[in-house]
Amino acid sequence: MSVATMTMRPLILAAVGAAALLQPVKADPAAEVRVTYSNGQFEPGEVNVPVDKPVIIRVKNMDAKALEFESTSLRVEKVVAAKSEAVVNVRALKPGRYEFYDDFNAKAHGALVVQ
Amino acid sequence: MQTPRRLTRRSGAHAVLAICALVACASGTGAAVAEDASSWREIETKYVFGFTTGSGIGLEGEKEVTVDSVGRFGKRDGHYAATETKYEFEFTPSQFIQIEFGALGSSHNIDAMTDLAARNQLAFAGGFAEFRYLAVERTSNNPLSVTLAVEPTVRLIDETSGSHVNNYEFETTVNADLELLKNRLYAGLNLLYEPEVTRVVAGTQREATIGGSAALAVRLAPNLLVGAEIWYLRHYDSPTLSDYTGDAVMAGPTLYVKFTSKMFMTAAWNAQLLGHEVGNLSSLNLSEFQRHRARLKFAYEF
Repeated sequence: MSVATMTMRPLILAAVGAAALLQPVKADPAAEVRVTYSNGQFEPGEVNVPVDKPVIIRVKNMDAKALEFESTSLRVEKVVAAKSEAVVNVRALKPGRYEFYDDFNAKAHGALVVQ
Repeated sequence: MQTPRRLTRRSGAHAVLAICALVACASGTGAAVAEDASSWREIETKYVFGFTTGSGIGLEGEKEVTVDSVGRFGKRDGHYAATETKYEFEFTPSQFIQIEFGALGSSHNIDAMTDLAARNQLAFAGGFAEFRYLAVERTSNNPLSVTLAVEPTVRLIDETSGSHVNNYEFETTVNADLELLKNRLYAGLNLLYEPEVTRVVAGTQREATIGGSAALAVRLAPNLLVGAEIWYLRHYDSPTLSDYTGDAVMAGPTLYVKFTSKMFMTAAWNAQLLGHEVGNLSSLNLSEFQRHRARLKFAYEF
C-alpha cells in the first residue's frame, strides 16, 4: 500500500462517517390531521391523535379574514391568511388534552386529544 | 395633626386602592372574578410569579421585546437607590428552547453611606444572554412543568456600588411551576446558583449566591393574576460555597396584568424580613442584599 493511500484512508473513513451522520434519520412518521376554520369556529372542535407521534396539523381558513392558530400547551402559533391553508408542526405528544384557539377571536377554540 | 404612623397607614391604604383601581381598569375585570375558569385560555406562566420565574418558554416562532427593571432600595445608613434594566429580545426557536439576550442599563443614587461612595449616575451597564430548556412539560395529566436556565452576564458597572468593574456572572436556575387548580391557581419554585467573578483595580473577587423561592399566584380574571412570593438567599465569598458571609429572607406581593393578547406587565415588591451578616449583630443583611427590591416589566410579543 502506498504512503499516499495510507494517508488518505483515515480521511476517506472520516468522510464516509460524516456522510453517514448527515443522512436523514428515519423519523417516526407524523400523524396528520385537518382542521377547518369557518364562520369563526374550528371544525372539528376536537381532534384525536396518537401518543408519542409528531403531529402535522393542516389548518384551512375558509373565512374572509386571517386567524392566528395558537396554543399555550402545544407551544405553537401560526397566522393563517384569509381563504388559505397553513401547516403547524407539533412535537410527539404525551397523553392529554391540548387546547388551541384563534388568537384573533375570543370565541374560537378547539382541542387536540392525545390518546 | 396626624401622627406619622397614621399618615403611613393612610398612604398605604391609598396606594392599595390606587393599585386596585389601576388593575381593574387595565384588565377590565369587573365581574370576571365570578367567571368559570375552565373556559379561560391557558396562561404562559413565566412571568406570573414576580421575581420567581415560571417554567414557560413561549410559543415556537414567537418573539418578544421587553423592558425589565429591578430596583434595590435601602441599606444600613444614608440613602441608597439602584436600578438595573434589561432591554431584552427573546424568541423561541423550538418547542423546547427559548433564547434571550440584551443590554443592561443601570442607575445609582447613593448618598451619605458608610461603605459606599456618593454617586448619582445613569450608565450602560453591560449585556446578557439566557438559554432556557423545557425539561418537564405540563399536560392535562401532569400539572408540573420544569425549565432549566443559564444566564451569562457581563457587567461594566457594579450592581451595588455603581463603580466601574469587569464582572462576569453565570446564573443557573431551575424554574418549576405547578398548576394547582386548572386555569386558576399556580405555585412556582425556583432554585438558584449564581457564581460571579469581579475584576477591579485592587484584584479579583469571587463570590456566589445560592437560594430558592416559593410563590403562589391566583388568577382572579383571565388577564389578571395576583400572588405572593418568598425568597431565601445565601451569599458566599467563593463560588464553591466555602466562605459563607450571610443570608436573607425576602417576601412580598406580585402582580401580572395582560393588557392585550400580545402585551403584558408584571410587577413585584419584596421586603427583607430576616437577615444575618457574618460578624455583624445587626438585624437584616444589608451588606449583600437590600431592605426592599421591586420589579416592573413590560413586554410586547409579536
